[in-house]
Amino acid sequence: MMSHPFVSGACAGAALLAAASVAASPVQTDHVGVELVSAATALVPGRSASLGLRFVHEPHWHTYWINPGDSGLATKLSWQLPAGFHAGEIIWPAPQRFDVDGLFNFGYSGDALLPVQLDVPASAKPGSAVQLAVEARWLVCREECIPGKALLTLDLPIAGEAAIDPRWQAGFAAARAAQPQPGRWTGTAHERGERIEVTLSGSVADLPSDPALDAFVIQRQVVGYAPPQISRGANALTVSFAKSEYFTDAPAAIDLLLVSGVPPNVHAWSAHAPLDATKPQP
Amino acid sequence: MNLYSTAIALLLVCGVSTPAWAKVAVGEPAPDFSLTDSNGKTQTLSQYKGKVVVLEWNNPECPFVGKHYGSGNMQKQQADATAAGAIWLTINSGAAGKQGNLDAAGANAYIAKVGAKQTAYLFDSAGTAGHLYGARTTPHIYIIDAQGVLRYMGGIDSIASTDKEDLPRATQFVPQVLAELKTGKAVSVTTSQPYGCGVKYGS
Repeated sequence: MMSHPFVSGACAGAALLAAASVAASPVQTDHVGVELVSAATALVPGRSASLGLRFVHEPHWHTYWINPGDSGLATKLSWQLPAGFHAGEIIWPAPQRFDVDGLFNFGYSGDALLPVQLDVPASAKPGSAVQLAVEARWLVCREECIPGKALLTLDLPIAGEAAIDPRWQAGFAAARAAQPQPGRWTGTAHERGERIEVTLSGSVADLPSDPALDAFVIQRQVVGYAPPQISRGANALTVSFAKSEYFTDAPAAIDLLLVSGVPPNVHAWSAHAPLDATKPQP
Repeated sequence: MNLYSTAIALLLVCGVSTPAWAKVAVGEPAPDFSLTDSNGKTQTLSQYKGKVVVLEWNNPECPFVGKHYGSGNMQKQQADATAAGAIWLTINSGAAGKQGNLDAAGANAYIAKVGAKQTAYLFDSAGTAGHLYGARTTPHIYIIDAQGVLRYMGGIDSIASTDKEDLPRATQFVPQVLAELKTGKAVSVTTSQPYGCGVKYGS
């Protein structure tokens, strides 16, 4: 791997900070501040902990969701952890939609936190401390885009009990509130000419009633990224997307999010809609 | 359906206006365009009938574009393509006042600075050709065969990133498609997800 002066600098900084008990390493880069944070002040052996990559974006700047939309790039993490520790994938909160002169991007603005679950081994010794490190790569854009990369570190004590860290409580709560909840409905998807339609059937009470509801598909090369048309019938909601110009192979199913509201008051639902494999209807 | 329920139904169908994106498709004739290049010459697609044409959407200040020019990947692909008889047209659809918008002198200075080897650098600040093709990112690649049929549209390669280190591992679609066209083989990858900065169209 190539050596980056920036990362080397961060490593040196991390070494200096290693003695501190809870040392975060906020990094201020072009148009966004980034840091690795923990929901709790300590790690408990044998339990999982909530970590977060916190982005503080300058106004009008954004970073990206797992599917970035028409352009952009999803944030990527690469962990460097002590033996026995394991970090999961980013638990993506529901994204916002950004309209940039007719191109659509999906991601996050303002103060945003991407949670990750950390599994702490039962063998971790109370009274000791560990250093967690992650190399984060992101793209931050307004209209123009700037790639960012940083090695972020966090030193945490191992303890029998852990208290909530009040500094990040609101951030973790907002990320949790924006997690898609499984919808109580049955989803099916169909190709109809140049469109892909997802129908969600369930009781009226379970279907989101927000007239400003938006929908996002996780897979790429399936649907176009312009806002879908959402219509309601008796006990069903139909989300109709333009088919992607880059659609090649039909996926077995479409995974989508329905999103209502704006941060920090977001409600999101997930839906899994098997794609009808029968002949596309005109 | 009474008036009330009609009104509700209309309210609930979120009609959305989007720009007039045309739709080009692999296997269909590529639409013609007429743009001025950095030497003041008019360039049309139709004037190159009989030759393979590569279209490359460009914004010199986009980091994804910088990955491919900063590493020499783009210039090498341009040089190889044009040496093999293809035409390479670089198109800048950045609107006036937007990042990467260039005038003729600025474009020629950029070409000289990076050592670009395209046939011509075209201006599309009104976004006409960009919307005609549905160009969304920089870079964004289209390859048109000698009969004027679109044979590839999508990303420049298979790894979406701004990192030069990813280049050796990525499938470079332009040389692959050009080689397949040359030998009369079927194009193995005809579309891929374009990746990059958004094209800086005007409002």
